Amino acid sequence: MSELSPHLIIVLLLWGSLVGLDLVSVPQAMISRPLVAGTVAGWLVGDVEAGLRVGVLLELFALDVLPVGAVRYPDYGPATVAAVALSAGVPWEMSLGVSVALGLVLAVLGGWSLQVVRRWNARAIQRRAAALAAGESRAIRLLQYGALLRDAIRGFALTLLGLVLASVIRDSVRLDRETAVALTLVAVGSGLSAAASGAFRSSGRGLRLKWLIGGMVVGTLIAVLT
Amino acid sequence: MRTGRLRAILRLFAVQGTWNYERMLGVGMGYAAEPLLEDLKAVDPVRHGEAVVRSAEFFNCNPNLAGLALGATTRAEYEAVPGAQIVRLRTALCSPLGAMGDELFWVGLVPTLVGLALIGTILGAGWWAIGGLLLIYNAVRLWTSVWSLRTGMGSGMQVGAAIGSSWLPKAIELAGPAAGFAIGAALPVVADWYLKSFGWSVFVGAAGVAVAGVALTRWFGPTLTSVRFAILAMILLLVFKRIGL
Repeated sequence: MSELSPHLIIVLLLWGSLVGLDLVSVPQAMISRPLVAGTVAGWLVGDVEAGLRVGVLLELFALDVLPVGAVRYPDYGPATVAAVALSAGVPWEMSLGVSVALGLVLAVLGGWSLQVVRRWNARAIQRRAAALAAGESRAIRLLQYGALLRDAIRGFALTLLGLVLASVIRDSVRLDRETAVALTLVAVGSGLSAAASGAFRSSGRGLRLKWLIGGMVVGTLIAVLT
Repeated sequence: MRTGRLRAILRLFAVQGTWNYERMLGVGMGYAAEPLLEDLKAVDPVRHGEAVVRSAEFFNCNPNLAGLALGATTRAEYEAVPGAQIVRLRTALCSPLGAMGDELFWVGLVPTLVGLALIGTILGAGWWAIGGLLLIYNAVRLWTSVWSLRTGMGSGMQVGAAIGSSWLPKAIELAGPAAGFAIGAALPVVADWYLKSFGWSVFVGAAGVAVAGVALTRWFGPTLTSVRFAILAMILLLVFKRIGL
């Protein structure tokens, strides 16, 4: 992790808040996908390669997530931003494992923080129950803006925590080359397993499984030929 | 009403803003319904008040298809359909709109576009691949939102039949296989991108971790998620290194 200037930290915090908001609240434009959040964060810190490497790997984990109904799922957006900040300026083979480990822990924390925000939203609604029952449009608007603000603060806090942890790890964790590379390989293997698990689970045993296997054959050909 | 529709479509992008375990999307739906119900205030203020209350009650579905329910219930309010019937329609739409939207977007479109973006990025398209993902997804989503609201408002209480005869069921049939193919193709490309510089022994090791991950997460189910497996595997690696294994 290279030293981040104060203005860069502010920009990363803003980007982390935005991608945190994007996951559920607004606008769900997919900027919270790790591939997008990571590449942009890499560009912001001046290391697009690090952003891509971290973003693609965390994207494999995100592919295992189905954000259906009330299910609890990790929030990879702010987590990816912090992981990229940790990985920037270091050869990816050495930094990817540790960065992705940080990203995964933050993503789980992010999932938990979403539950907290949802409970706060419910409490806010209970406080305005009388106004809602009276059909006051203003109450609905205030609830909506309050909830969006809570979620933005959640994304901001998560990114801030991630950047602090990244700084602590950079200053205090010393791994030899062999261990750092081994961590990277375990992270890559785990990411591939996550995406494959999600793909097999969604495919079932029907037509989609055949397309999945067909895709794997084509992908293998692309990998061999390029 | 035209500016009301535009504002409603924009507000639909924040329909999950107040997501909670009691009303789920309810308040977000009420927020999106507000501009559509404005004209009702002048015609029938009492009915308008009741409609606002109903609009913010419990509701849940995939956010991308929420416009269908929003449009249908709004039209029903203007047609003075009894409130109990509107509530029943809203409740009845939750499951099908949730299932269809999840199949189309979360199981189909998103993995398809992400898989293609991963391949494109790795093959050198870089920002173009990422821009393509964002552009196509958001264009589809915007178009779906506009179509949903228009179809809902056009069909009212008959929205179920309108959905059944629309493009949605066919698109869902196509989206699943497309996602399977795109993710299937992306996996070997991504694996090669990360591992080709390490040589075969490392490739086999990482593949072993991947196979173990698929098997164990399948075996243990929700207690061992992919993320937990990854964190556990990394902790085990550090422990083994520490004790010299």
